[in-house]
Amino acid sequence: MRLTIERRLDQPRWLAVVVPVLSVGAALVIAAIVMLVTGHNPISSYHKLVDAAFLQTGSVGQTLIAATPLAFTGLAAAAAFRMRLYNIGGEGQLYMGAIFGSGIGLFLGGTGSASPGVIAAMVAAGCVGGALWALIPGVLRAFLGTSEILTSLMLNYVAGYILTYLVFQSQSYWRQTKGFNASVFPTGKPLPSNAVWPAWTLHTQGGMPIPLGLFFAVLAGLVLWVLYKRTRFGFEVQVLGDSTGAARYAGVRIRRKILAVMAISGAVAGLGGASQVGDFSHGLDADPNGLQRQAYGYSGIVVAALGRYNPLAVLLVAVLIGGLDNAGNTLQGADFPAGLVGVIQGIILFCALGGELLVRHRVRIGRSVAAVA
Amino acid sequence: MNHALLVVLIASGVAYGTPLLFASLGELLAERSGVLNLGVEGMMLVGAVMGFWAEQRLTIGSGAVSLILGLVVAAFAAAVTAAIHAFLVITLRANQIVSGLALTIFAGGIGLSSYLGTDLNLADQPANHQFHAFLPSAMQNWPIVGPIVFGQTPLVYLSWVCVIAVAYYLMRTRPGLNVRSVGEAPGAADAMGINVVKYRYVHTIVGGAFAGVAGATFSLAITPQWVAGDSLVQNSGWIAIALVIFAFWRPELCVVGAYFFGSLQALAPELQARNVNLGPTELWTNAMPYAATVVVLVLVSWRGAARRLGAPAALGTPYAREEH
Amino acid sequence: MRKNKLALGAVLVVLAVVAAVLALGSSANAKSSSAFKVAFIYVGPHNDGGWSQAHEEGRLYVNKMLGSKVQTTYKENIAVGTQFDQTVSSLRAQGYKMIFATSYGYVTPAVAAKYPDVTFEQATGTYLAKNVSEYYGTGEDTVYLSGMAAGAAAKCNTIGYVVAFPIPELIRHTNAFTLGAQATHPGIKVKLVWTNSWFDPAKEKKAAQSLHGSGACVLGQNVDSPATGQYSESAKVPWVGYDSDAAKFAPKSWLTASVYNWGLYYLSRVKAKMNGTWKPAFYYGTIKDGFTKLAPYGPGVSAATKAKIAAKFAFLKAHPDAEFTGPLYDQSGKLRVPKGQKLQVLKGGTNSLYGMNWLVKGVIGSPKG
Repeated sequence: MRLTIERRLDQPRWLAVVVPVLSVGAALVIAAIVMLVTGHNPISSYHKLVDAAFLQTGSVGQTLIAATPLAFTGLAAAAAFRMRLYNIGGEGQLYMGAIFGSGIGLFLGGTGSASPGVIAAMVAAGCVGGALWALIPGVLRAFLGTSEILTSLMLNYVAGYILTYLVFQSQSYWRQTKGFNASVFPTGKPLPSNAVWPAWTLHTQGGMPIPLGLFFAVLAGLVLWVLYKRTRFGFEVQVLGDSTGAARYAGVRIRRKILAVMAISGAVAGLGGASQVGDFSHGLDADPNGLQRQAYGYSGIVVAALGRYNPLAVLLVAVLIGGLDNAGNTLQGADFPAGLVGVIQGIILFCALGGELLVRHRVRIGRSVAAVA
Repeated sequence: MNHALLVVLIASGVAYGTPLLFASLGELLAERSGVLNLGVEGMMLVGAVMGFWAEQRLTIGSGAVSLILGLVVAAFAAAVTAAIHAFLVITLRANQIVSGLALTIFAGGIGLSSYLGTDLNLADQPANHQFHAFLPSAMQNWPIVGPIVFGQTPLVYLSWVCVIAVAYYLMRTRPGLNVRSVGEAPGAADAMGINVVKYRYVHTIVGGAFAGVAGATFSLAITPQWVAGDSLVQNSGWIAIALVIFAFWRPELCVVGAYFFGSLQALAPELQARNVNLGPTELWTNAMPYAATVVVLVLVSWRGAARRLGAPAALGTPYAREEH
Repeated sequence: MRKNKLALGAVLVVLAVVAAVLALGSSANAKSSSAFKVAFIYVGPHNDGGWSQAHEEGRLYVNKMLGSKVQTTYKENIAVGTQFDQTVSSLRAQGYKMIFATSYGYVTPAVAAKYPDVTFEQATGTYLAKNVSEYYGTGEDTVYLSGMAAGAAAKCNTIGYVVAFPIPELIRHTNAFTLGAQATHPGIKVKLVWTNSWFDPAKEKKAAQSLHGSGACVLGQNVDSPATGQYSESAKVPWVGYDSDAAKFAPKSWLTASVYNWGLYYLSRVKAKMNGTWKPAFYYGTIKDGFTKLAPYGPGVSAATKAKIAAKFAFLKAHPDAEFTGPLYDQSGKLRVPKGQKLQVLKGGTNSLYGMNWLVKGVIGSPKG
């Protein structure tokens, strides 16, 4: 007996729903076995997980906050991966967006309540910062054919060291130098009050603040969806993603597409960086125990893959993964090892990834159809 | 003379470059067969913890036996971890980048490696045994070659054997040549009767074993202990991925790159201790390995030479027979 | 079509199982205890052998002393920023209303205002509010004493010191260490290597190696891992640790280390909160409080040195932070603190313990990193 895997000729719609649900179901079963083996009660653990992500007081708000950066980095990855342009530099592009966004916020900001002009400038600067950083691998790929996978990955580290340098190893414009607290520990200069992004509070679950950045993320998702599904640009990107040869034959200008897609991808990640500054840290966060610990850029790639690079699905998956991250923090503690949380999250990701196969392929046990015919 | 900056840097480069060398040899094998595994950091951490466990707990015979057992167990544990990636990307044809990142989450500092070390109670314990520089101290004190060549632990010499073995395997043996064709043109390799799937599995898994030994180099030689989190390995896995490219996918050049990157890690403390200030040292010594890799990538592709220099053309793409 | 139905059925089964699990879980969760709930948030792993582990020992001490009257938990590897906020929110929902945040930067004015019903205690910070206390202590006193052990053990004129970040907390400790070393070994120099990381064993080992190679014959540290000690043991040089009794990593080289005892403070604050006497305060624990102490000596500390340290220990117990009494000179030889003046913890800008950005005479290295 052997396992045969064949590509499906048609991909029925119901599969797109059934497969992810079944994959997660399988993951939960495997993770439950792991928990049983390691002496933890899977039922109460799962309950805690869902409780922490969506049910208990304030949890949905926290999940949406966690989802915001993942939505940006997920959309950024999706925008590029659709064309098989593997930009895994979302992390660095996010940092650059944070650096540019906070720089403009500090420069233009003033007293008073949130100013749409300043916020718009921060958004623009974040996009520019991320896009410029993404264009380095983009230009190299377009003109020299250098693999963007590895250059974009390497540039994440370079961006991280620059971020650290600006606050920890220099007296840069971004570093808070005034006041006693500034001397206690290096921190970013706080944004002036009109550069702080307002949150919109929903009065459920004991007050649920929804960050402005989340609205931008949803907007970015919609724009990307329209761009990729409804325009000639999107069609050409799709053709390019399927086959370079066919695209060239169809007259697609490949270099331009690479540059445009990398810039779009980087801009979205950079906007995520600006949102981190405007929505949450309210200054450049270079703390080695802060933003850089979160690895949003890398998680975003997983989010994009699970959302099958569809912008709207990515938004949804970002919320789920954001919830899973939060749930992990809630689950771990004196009675539940933190390491097991990572294991369970890994199992869920593996199953979701593996399940993808079933959408695109048919698995048969026994001889393949081709062999019979 | 043995305290001259250059000698110290090269000697440290060899010592600190050794885990990078092991890990990059492993990644090189996987990539040559067409599989990109970004989970090196996670596999190293699993190797580090299980190697340390075996050395501490499997007390059979002498210290040397424990240490060798440590290496074997580290290699095995990381190989099993790599097998997950292999199954996902080879059999299930998942995206290699995404699967590698998922592997890092699964196995990494707040995943499996942390769980194992905490559950096996390995934290805050000095190693019972560790790999030492073992040659006579007179030899270790010879000018220049003493600290660089003779003052090293057995793992350094083991890594040299591995480099020669991998280079010989890839260049001079039939399976080695087959791997290269699997990574270059899996379709053609398949047509020639090479079992693409089997080759990819074997090389991904053996690559994981190398990463495990790399992790054990930290927990059994450089800083002989296990610590929770990812600070024991501290980004070495990612540097190793950079290194493979930096070395044009060639084992002998991995040595040069590993020692160069290793020296860079030693440069910042060494310059501080010597009271030398070369600008923002922390920034440029840290960023250099990554920036240098980008530059090398550019140089390689500039002349359209990637193929000739060894970049596996099918790197990152799944292979499915019926699609061709 | 049959497959269609089968698959749909499977989805329904999965959903039903999940729902059942949740329903079961809720009823299991309903039982609540009357114990007072306290949570501890760690920036690293609870078993890191350094900073976070010392706090974890404090938590276990609270457990031991109060038994079933309290229920404690911890959250490890929590990043500064939104992740901390989320963790607090979730702990609060589970009834944890007192939280010890054991690293700088966790509790911001925004977080304190957002959770007015949660009592925060933050280590090493300076921010006070109605529901926020800050705590730390005169680690510098015992670091000074450990410096005395280092100075006495030095047979040359340089001690190497591996330090994490060029920030006032560590500059203060470096200065205290140097002053202590100079007390037993007049004129000795302390050479620094900044690792720019809180916990990086390989880098710390390399720093130790570089310092030893450039002439240091005793090593000290203000980082968390025992890597400096492991190097010292192999190089046969005496070693002063920090933050934990790590003698087991280098039994021959070990001299001593300044260590913190967080448990006593935690116990007193938890008790205060339980009986309603808790008030926000800036606590700066001393030797007398039992907050900071010296780890047991290693074989390399002579009886004469022990006697000298004991005398100074008694003095510092009665006069905390007395080592920072003028005259104190900076690296360039400029008088920074005039004779008779003593530095205060928070007041005095760069001439305060929390704002110190200059190194004393005899330190080789830059206070900027």
